[in-house]
Amino acid sequence: MKITARHQTDVLVIGAGASGLRAALAAAGAGASVILTNKGPLARSGITLTAAGGMQAPLHPDDSAALFYDDIIACGCGLADGDLARTLAEDAADRVLETERYGVTFVRDAAGGYALGQFPGQSRPRNLFVRGGGIGLAAGLAKACRSHGGIKVIDDFLVTGLVPDTRGAAAGAVGLGLRSGELTLLAARAVVLATGGCQWLWATNDCPADATGDGIVYAHRAGAELVDMEMVLFYPSVLVWPPSLKGAFVHYEFLASDVLDGNIYDNAGRPVLPKPLPVRDEAMRLLARAIKDGRGGPHGGLLWYVGDSPKGAAAVAAKLDILQYNYIRAHGVDPATDRVEVAPGAHYLMGGIHIDPDCRTSVAGLFAAPECAGNFDGANRLAGNGLTATQVFGARAGLAASRRAAENGGAGPDPAAAEAEAARVAARLDKNGGGADLAALRDRLRAAVQEYAGVGRDAAGLARLARLAGETRAELAAARVPDTGVFNQRLIELIELENMAEIAGLVAGCALLRAETRGHHIRDDFPARDDDNWLRHTLVTRTSAGPLFATKPLRG
Amino acid sequence: MDNSLTITVKVFRFDPAADKSGRLEQFAVASAAPLSVMALLAKVRELDATFCCRTSTCFKGRCGSCLVRVNGKDAFGCTTLVKPGETVVIEPHSRYAVLRDVVVDFSRPLAAEGEGGQ
Repeated sequence: MKITARHQTDVLVIGAGASGLRAALAAAGAGASVILTNKGPLARSGITLTAAGGMQAPLHPDDSAALFYDDIIACGCGLADGDLARTLAEDAADRVLETERYGVTFVRDAAGGYALGQFPGQSRPRNLFVRGGGIGLAAGLAKACRSHGGIKVIDDFLVTGLVPDTRGAAAGAVGLGLRSGELTLLAARAVVLATGGCQWLWATNDCPADATGDGIVYAHRAGAELVDMEMVLFYPSVLVWPPSLKGAFVHYEFLASDVLDGNIYDNAGRPVLPKPLPVRDEAMRLLARAIKDGRGGPHGGLLWYVGDSPKGAAAVAAKLDILQYNYIRAHGVDPATDRVEVAPGAHYLMGGIHIDPDCRTSVAGLFAAPECAGNFDGANRLAGNGLTATQVFGARAGLAASRRAAENGGAGPDPAAAEAEAARVAARLDKNGGGADLAALRDRLRAAVQEYAGVGRDAAGLARLARLAGETRAELAAARVPDTGVFNQRLIELIELENMAEIAGLVAGCALLRAETRGHHIRDDFPARDDDNWLRHTLVTRTSAGPLFATKPLRG
Repeated sequence: MDNSLTITVKVFRFDPAADKSGRLEQFAVASAAPLSVMALLAKVRELDATFCCRTSTCFKGRCGSCLVRVNGKDAFGCTTLVKPGETVVIEPHSRYAVLRDVVVDFSRPLAAEGEGGQ
């Protein structure tokens, strides 16, 4: 298998969720030619679609960018990159409202203004609600991209690695056209990574199987700095049963006394959570403890229940008459009356490729936008920050990349590097396949990440995970799949699993290094927050001997 | 085999490099619980790694990544439920060109809508 197709563009945007779509529009708007790739079908895959639709912006008359910034820092337990948090707070209002120009609409109140919700950690009501949630946001932006003459969409396209020019700057990518089966070189003057998080690594998570962290690994291999890879946001109540509903979630917040006043129960019917309901990280600690103590149900979860709500059946039915609960009902489970088996699951990656406010990475010509970029949240994040960050940093990444493309005469991809990447992929093909049971390796890895890098971590478990990640990589090195051409799903899964195994090692290394508990990084062997030593990012860089784990001072 | 613990699935198989037309292939999927068509396809993939299907989902029954044809009718695979003991036929969605097996190319809608596609 050799490179048989080639495209040239000013700006290559990899990943077409809310960030990548916005980056493409910004770059094309500045006059650059853009190729926008996505490994699944456009606006029918990716993490954005699972978002409920909350988007923060300081639009309330008593609110300000300064208050928003203060809330980000406080919620993130002081670990946010201050420059990035300030950028997010200052740009949020303009970028969020700008999405209306692309056909995105927000829920309005009776007076015609934006309906603003106030979520925990927000000192003012600051959450707007996108109509149609993440799907509505992606649909509007995708339509704008499709109809823009300067943007060429190449979806069903799996990038396998970045390609530098002869001086080491990002100059494109090699990938697999899934519809044609062709190995393709995308040559670019600047590259934006917008590939999302790696939550699929955890056996329990509420993201689609796309969330394998591909871009983070490619950036790491290209030499970019990653920060705070241990900082994964967990959600307390992700469904673990039945199999068809794994990954859907029910609201922890609905259990509060002033909402539906429910609880999460153990296998003996005892409530696990005290009232008033604790904050999310404390709740997860209690849930994880109960599960570890063997108080879980038949499928490893605890039982979320609002069927005996003192608010009455009508109030429960009304509260749960929304899309995500109707989805659960379609599977024969009625969350209004049934006990729903849940466990804490990975929800959002706060760490990632370290960027500056212009989304530059430490590799020339390489830019990144959330969720693969960070860390503007810290050790916890405010509800509604995820989608807002896609628009703020997506727009900045696209603009900065278009400037870089205009300045960069374009040495073009180093042919030797492109060939090497193509050869790396081709080496995985063999007409008889074999060498490793991919499904078994995947399941073993995901179970280990859940057990050792979930809620509640310790040095022994993390060391075990690091070792297992290394063993998995070694076993995968021998794996071969047949060359089936069009939509070679086994090759896709092999490449994704290699990425997952590499990133699992990075998560384990960073989590092992941070010997304290902060936000959603809960170390059972270091239960206290340690501001004297740990108001610093963990940092991972690539060396010829493998990943090097260190720390980096906070900015701003 | 205990009928109450098995779902019989007939899935469409099509290899663009080798086949002029598709065919149905039968699998017995062990499950005591009802499964969505999407979960069922993933189980078939576990039984036969050469079988291909889309795996992305929005958890809301809206994004349409899972669109297929179930027992002759176009449907969302993620919210169409099959019970143990039942037999189900799963084919590519009728409105899009087939890439492989039940995976379609959403960028190539077919002209004749809802007419069986192929």
